[in-house]
Amino acid sequence: MPELLVSERIPVRIATDIVIARRAARELCERLGFGKADQTRLATAVSELARNVIQYAGEGVCLIEDRSDGVSRRIRVVVEDQGPGIADLGRALTDGFSTGGGLGAGLPGTRRLVDEFQIESAPGRTCVTIVMAKPF
Amino acid sequence: MTTLLQQLLREHRAELLADWLKSLHAPWEHPTPQDGTHHEPNQRLHALFEDILTALERPPSDRFELDALDPLAKHLRQLVADQARRGAGSSETIGLMLSLKRLISKRLIEQSPSDSSGDLLWLEQVFEQLTLLAFAAFLDIREHLITQQSLSLLELSTPVLRLWHRILLLPLVGVIDTGRARQITESLLEAIARHEARVTILDLTGVPVLDTSVAQHLMKTIDAARLLGTRVVMTGISPEGAQTLTKLGIRFADVISRATLRAGIAEALLMVGQRITSIEDGRP
Repeated sequence: MPELLVSERIPVRIATDIVIARRAARELCERLGFGKADQTRLATAVSELARNVIQYAGEGVCLIEDRSDGVSRRIRVVVEDQGPGIADLGRALTDGFSTGGGLGAGLPGTRRLVDEFQIESAPGRTCVTIVMAKPF
Repeated sequence: MTTLLQQLLREHRAELLADWLKSLHAPWEHPTPQDGTHHEPNQRLHALFEDILTALERPPSDRFELDALDPLAKHLRQLVADQARRGAGSSETIGLMLSLKRLISKRLIEQSPSDSSGDLLWLEQVFEQLTLLAFAAFLDIREHLITQQSLSLLELSTPVLRLWHRILLLPLVGVIDTGRARQITESLLEAIARHEARVTILDLTGVPVLDTSVAQHLMKTIDAARLLGTRVVMTGISPEGAQTLTKLGIRFADVISRATLRAGIAEALLMVGQRITSIEDGRP
């Protein structure tokens, strides 16, 4: 089990928390030596997920962790909420589909922005895990 | 049974108050001349003094509890609020109370070095609670202030600048949320109509993150602007921002975009048939 170097837990309740979460993600990215493009990608992905939490679930949490191991530097972000869940995951991950009047690019776009993407959703719990990785 | 402390507080009340007020310096003694309400801080202090002494005169117990609605708590919070508004630090209010504690404990020990320990403990307890309360009140006020400030930052007005005849510049800085996007759109549309602008430059250099929500706001603003007959030139998207936008699958179709504001201005001038030349070239 690799040692966790950094772990930050940010409550996501109001719009300002989105800014706090994505800034924390960007800072950790920078600290671990990721380039500017990677920083922007992760910050944007966190921004998308946190905004989804506020828009669809009301509130949730964002956990940002340094999961680097001997082989690569890795940042894992888990965004979780207790909202109503996503009824049709397949469609939610399709470009252009939105139940909230958005562009429908948030979830599928986020998936393309990051290196690993996992989503679980059921009524009462939605959890998205994303990872940015880069070999040493 | 009367405790030593109760006796002391009763007999030396006036002296204690005088000593205490003397020990506090600066703002209380030197009210600003034009400020007609300079008696007020002293009245506040008098009230607080009486409240604290009343609390101390309670029969000593193991725990000192202070109800949030107690006049003492109320006066203390008011004092903290006053001081915080003046820009004073939390140490000022707390220092003010600790100085009263020092005066009382000094007198206690002077009067009876051997029998004062119980009273001293009680004194300690009361002031501990008061300090905690003052500190909590101070933090509350600060947090309130911070929330207000962040709100006002979000509401920063966005000026629409007239760059040239029929060319407008809208520099966007900071977080763009729904409320701000609406405000931006409104002021932009109004300016476009007023100046009959043919070109509007939308500079995004100061926008930290371009995600789908921001992009959607921008698209709506751009669409509305176009309906009024202006062409939109976007500038200032960073290389990383561009890459992220395409990965997200967002396309600003038919929107002219330039990497820098300089290039955007050149483009806008071209659209209205103007250009910037050096003075030398223009001379006959």
